[in-house]
Amino acid sequence: MAPLGYLDPGSGSMLLQIILGGVAAIGVTMKMGWRRLLRTLRLRRDDDDAS
Amino acid sequence: MTTTPASAHRSAEPASFRDPEARVVYSADGEVLRELSPRAREDWEALSGATFFRRALEDGRIVGTEELSPGLLRHERVPFVSYPYEWPFEMLRDAALLQLGLLEKALAEDFILKDGTPYNVQWRGAEPVFVDVGSFERLRSGEPWAGYRQFCMLFLYPLMLQAYRGIAPQPWLRGSLEGIEPSEARALLPRRRRGVLTHVVLHDRLEAKNADRSGEVRAELKASGFRKELIEANVKRLLKLVRRLQPKRGRSTWAGYREAAPYEPEDAERKERFVREAGRADLAWDLGCNDGRFSRAVDAEHVVAVDGEERVVAELYDTLRGEGSNRILPLVVDLADASPGRGWRGVERRRLEERGRPDLVLCLALVHHLAIGRNLPFEELIGWLRSLEARLVIEFADRDDPMVKRLLAAKRAETHESYGRDTFERALGERFEVERREELGSGMRTLYLATPR
Repeated sequence: MAPLGYLDPGSGSMLLQIILGGVAAIGVTMKMGWRRLLRTLRLRRDDDDAS
Repeated sequence: MTTTPASAHRSAEPASFRDPEARVVYSADGEVLRELSPRAREDWEALSGATFFRRALEDGRIVGTEELSPGLLRHERVPFVSYPYEWPFEMLRDAALLQLGLLEKALAEDFILKDGTPYNVQWRGAEPVFVDVGSFERLRSGEPWAGYRQFCMLFLYPLMLQAYRGIAPQPWLRGSLEGIEPSEARALLPRRRRGVLTHVVLHDRLEAKNADRSGEVRAELKASGFRKELIEANVKRLLKLVRRLQPKRGRSTWAGYREAAPYEPEDAERKERFVREAGRADLAWDLGCNDGRFSRAVDAEHVVAVDGEERVVAELYDTLRGEGSNRILPLVVDLADASPGRGWRGVERRRLEERGRPDLVLCLALVHHLAIGRNLPFEELIGWLRSLEARLVIEFADRDDPMVKRLLAAKRAETHESYGRDTFERALGERFEVERREELGSGMRTLYLATPR
């Protein structure tokens, strides 16, 4: 993707903005899927799906 | 940068290199100009038609801006540049609220701020002004607020540090121009307090687990339909959070000093008159301003009122803000350790003395604090005042003065044996021509009006 700007927004900071989106984040979370969200946030490992 | 003949006479602002899209330069006669890249020019064209932007320009929340030619803007000059490490808590909080308020309005019209730094806020007296017009850009769908992390590091965590721990954030901000890292904030802040769990603890955890995945994460957010409503919700939360933060402070030595000080009211009035009669100035500095009584008395277009006590400056700011003052800028500065040059090559954030010279300096009820309290020799102090090349109103308090006695009592007797009016006047006379001298009624304090030799 094209660079966002002159600042590195920080990957953790970008991900946190989903959580801070409150009610508006529900749609995003659903679209992502709960497992995929946790994986994206790296709060769950890829191989957890196998269990 | 374009190299048209006109721009050859421009000098670059040393602090304006981080965002190459919209650089600040100065014209030969000192005008503040902004050169826009083709991309920034497109953003500017859209921005100049936006309602929120026009309103903020009209009511002064955004710095006065006009387009001189395509891709070249001219800005209003703020009276005196200051930095977040010179602001008391209340000023940092108001600067944060200004920034968030503008961001909220911008989002409604599909614009966003590309950063989140207090260095984009300056002051007309006690009125905050957002100065970086180049920070606004058109919102691109699917993208988060790139300045959120910076906002946390330079606004939110420093404010939380004082609100939740009672630790003054100015030395931290002066120590690091980038602010406080999420991992540091996590170690410093109590997790049970409002906003800490999300903006600090979770922030640090996500950061630690997702290092160097910026591109990947952005693609994922975009694919999942990240939209501006999420940013709006975050900005609303931040506004609510920041508004509720209250400073926690320890006891202060000089708050209420005027009441406690052994001044005769008559002396204070004579001092005020003396200051008023010192003549007109464009820019006056009031060193050791305390409650700002003499900043108000001085006949100057603009006043920079400095004091080393954060609480005293905060109280002065609150009063001035309540009055809607745009003449007096209150700053926290310890004169025995004033703001140095910081950042790249030490010129990105300039020394206090390099940001506009005063033509009148008030130095009232201060000499004994520096000379005795901080062991600063008269020659050093007077030498520094002389280097400002300004008229000087200075007060000297004798050894018999109760405040001087109090300060002397804390030191070994020999350390300040030479403290006295004769030695002071000799040091002053070497560097300044004394035009007027007035003894106050108590007989223990003397005022001098002096011009540099």
